[in-house]
Amino acid sequence: MKTLILLLLLAGCSTGDKRTAATAPKPKTLADSINLDVTEAKLPNGMTALIVPNNKLPIFSLYLFYKVGGKNEVPGITGASHFLEHMMFKGTKKFGKNSLDFIIEGSGGSTNAYTTNDQTVYYENLPSGQLGTILDIEADRLANLNLDEDEFNKERAVVLEERKMRYENSPRGQLYLAMVQSLFKDTPYGSAVIGEIPDLKSVTRDQIHQYFKRFYAPNNLTLVLVGDVDTAKAQAMVKQKFGGIPASPTVDEAHAELTEEKFQSRVRADQVVNKKGESPSPIFMLAYPTYKVGHAKGYALDVLSSILGSGKSSTLINEYALIKKPVATSVYAAHQQLEKAGFFFIGGELVRGVKLEDFRRDLKKKLAGYCETEVTDKNIQKIKNNYLVDLYAGLDTNAGLAQFLGDRQTLFEDWRFYKTELELYEKVTVEDVRAACHETFKKPSVFVSVWNKHK
Amino acid sequence: MKYLAMSFLFLVGLAQAKPTFLDSVQRLKWDDLEVVWIEDDKFPRFTASIFFQDGALSDPMAGLTQATFDQFTAGTSKETQRQLAEFFDFYGANLKHTVTHEYSVLSIQALTKDIKPVMGKVCEIFKDAKFPEDELNSYVSRSRSHLKNLVTSHSALADRIFRSLSLEGTIYAKPVEGSLESFGRFTSKLLKDRLAQLNKTKKILYLSGPAGVKEMRDVLRKDCQWSHEARATAGPLKKPEPESVIYLADVPGDANQAQIRIGRYLTYDEIKGKSDQFQFLSTFLGGGFTSKLVQELRVKRGLTYSAGAYVSMQRDYGRAGIITFSKNETAAEAISIIRDVFQEVGAGVVTPQEFEHQQGHLIGGYAFGFEETTAFLGQIMQYDHQGRDLEELVNFPQTIKKMTPATLSQADLEVYPWDRMTILVLGDKSLAKSLSRIRPVKLIRYEDYL
Repeated sequence: MKTLILLLLLAGCSTGDKRTAATAPKPKTLADSINLDVTEAKLPNGMTALIVPNNKLPIFSLYLFYKVGGKNEVPGITGASHFLEHMMFKGTKKFGKNSLDFIIEGSGGSTNAYTTNDQTVYYENLPSGQLGTILDIEADRLANLNLDEDEFNKERAVVLEERKMRYENSPRGQLYLAMVQSLFKDTPYGSAVIGEIPDLKSVTRDQIHQYFKRFYAPNNLTLVLVGDVDTAKAQAMVKQKFGGIPASPTVDEAHAELTEEKFQSRVRADQVVNKKGESPSPIFMLAYPTYKVGHAKGYALDVLSSILGSGKSSTLINEYALIKKPVATSVYAAHQQLEKAGFFFIGGELVRGVKLEDFRRDLKKKLAGYCETEVTDKNIQKIKNNYLVDLYAGLDTNAGLAQFLGDRQTLFEDWRFYKTELELYEKVTVEDVRAACHETFKKPSVFVSVWNKHK
Repeated sequence: MKYLAMSFLFLVGLAQAKPTFLDSVQRLKWDDLEVVWIEDDKFPRFTASIFFQDGALSDPMAGLTQATFDQFTAGTSKETQRQLAEFFDFYGANLKHTVTHEYSVLSIQALTKDIKPVMGKVCEIFKDAKFPEDELNSYVSRSRSHLKNLVTSHSALADRIFRSLSLEGTIYAKPVEGSLESFGRFTSKLLKDRLAQLNKTKKILYLSGPAGVKEMRDVLRKDCQWSHEARATAGPLKKPEPESVIYLADVPGDANQAQIRIGRYLTYDEIKGKSDQFQFLSTFLGGGFTSKLVQELRVKRGLTYSAGAYVSMQRDYGRAGIITFSKNETAAEAISIIRDVFQEVGAGVVTPQEFEHQQGHLIGGYAFGFEETTAFLGQIMQYDHQGRDLEELVNFPQTIKKMTPATLSQADLEVYPWDRMTILVLGDKSLAKSLSRIRPVKLIRYEDYL
């Protein structure tokens, strides 16, 4: 997950403010300016609930973040978190087989879920008046999930189709998978979250049930509710529905076993990985290991990734795409930070006829130079301005705010960490970004490409 | 606090809300420019969507309008592409465009305090865009290469081919995005001329943001100096008669999954006054996890990961379709099930529970269309374009509530008559054998549709 970030350091592009420096009040920092009205409740069984009222429309969004994902799986049960995510929609003791979607959609709501390396997130957007029902559903599937054997096997086929859609029939999926498999080989981040095909075919209902019992527990759950709700009543309902569900005695131990050392990239020298796939032009990714989410240097690398590969004025686009004889049809850079490790990557698609190896060498050669020429005060200011606009867009809906808070509570164990993040971004300097840039591009990298001409 | 000024209406119930709902939409006239504004001061930013009553139908070659907008910031007499990009990126201003056959939209999103410089620059480009040859050649080269590589996304490739097949014989057959053939014919002069036409075309500004957005009026008047000539609707529309075959587009490699597209083109007479009925039909068939097709294909049989239905309506025509995929072994079965669902719904084999469930789905979900002001404005834009009264939007829940199973069956019979469906399967050519049990199979080359 790339953390959502922002900064209000807009003095450099302000044209509307006519106040002079002498009369202007002391400018607030962004951390001072963004104050979210969050009520936090911690239940005795370890569950965290965050509630933000917003009565502008008669709707609300409910997000449940379970701290379990690909990182918690071991060979033999890869894909268990995602498979379980599918099974969570199959019914509960109280609500019966395949009834959850009907209850939610029948009242005008929508629901879905996603699984990442670090967490599994369930969400619903519903009209007001449905809060009691949806809390009942979420509590019941946590306490009494119906893992029916027939449904389990039917869903196995669906998951296998999803895997084919995302990877076997998608060169871009193959590229991303090959990159993480190489960069994080022999670590829990080194496989597809959706799971390896042999495991998906062999995993049993009982294995998934054991997995469920260990990780699906109130002491591994953050609930976030944003929208047209009465905070006090909502809090009472959450306590009533979830308060009686027992904590998992082993989940903390499971998390403790996952030390950061186990997730660090083992790449010790530059690697080039050629994958044969149905892409007539080469598509590529160049990746470097970086830091886990929240690491101070990560903020500088976020800024660097935007300078190099985000927006039409960014470096790589102007170096390789927006030129007289383009080398690439698209090129981008991103910094992805997971709970235990991170990676910086540059990707894109080459124009037909461009020599892949020449491009790879040229790109690698130029990267260190960019640390000096492209990391400037003006570029950093530009990126900070863009982050602000992106933040506004991200917080515009109940769902956006719920996700923002839930991510921070799950990853940092404190939703207020956004204030720290804002301060860290505000403090990012040219020197910080240059230092992070040089350090990163000196590390061993993985260059992966997918092309139909590879053997 | 004016954030979504119209929002409180929901608190008193939709039935009593009508007058307030419409009051939240301000229709203004800034000189010759029509403006639709919803005040929204949740954040100090604005979105200005400039609607041009002209789109790809006016293109002498496929993709010209799209290229004109794609290359909008490629350079003026004073500034290079890079300088323009630096300018907009520095302000955090986001420019996006959409081109359809019937209309085009350029949307600009930025911070309210930057209205003057950002919109001033947009106007400057409208007056002075040069579409430099070097930038245009680079764009053409990238576009060609990208299109040749479209096979990396089977879903996107299937969408493109299906669009072409189902619209064959109509004036909408030329792809909005352009083609390998048309890219080579673009010149700077053609793009400049196209922009000059758009400068004169009738425009409507759909605007959201705080009261400060009114500053934009002076900028547009002084710097853009647009005129607003209404453009004529295109000529008579043909009604294509699709071949009774399954088109099978073979893709290279060992594709083990088949993309399936089923649907057809709808004429003006077929869509006129039917928007809400067809939206209900789409929701019923493929508008969520509980829709008929997802239940039949995924939940009961595990044949696919997703299935969706749509009836998209423009002012003068519409398109209806089903989008899904399945493993090779079950692609034919999936198509047969879709056919059976069409026929059952058309015959009225729908339980009261199924019917009422989807009524509840649409009515209950109505408020979500207003959560983001830009989404609300997008709805108004579509209503305006199609000449629909906003009262219809206000009355939507009541309209859905009044529908009966017979309305649904009738809509299904009108939209999805099986013998008039265009069917495309994109995947491995070995599928031909199983598919031929449904209809004769016609092999096509995907390259012919690029």
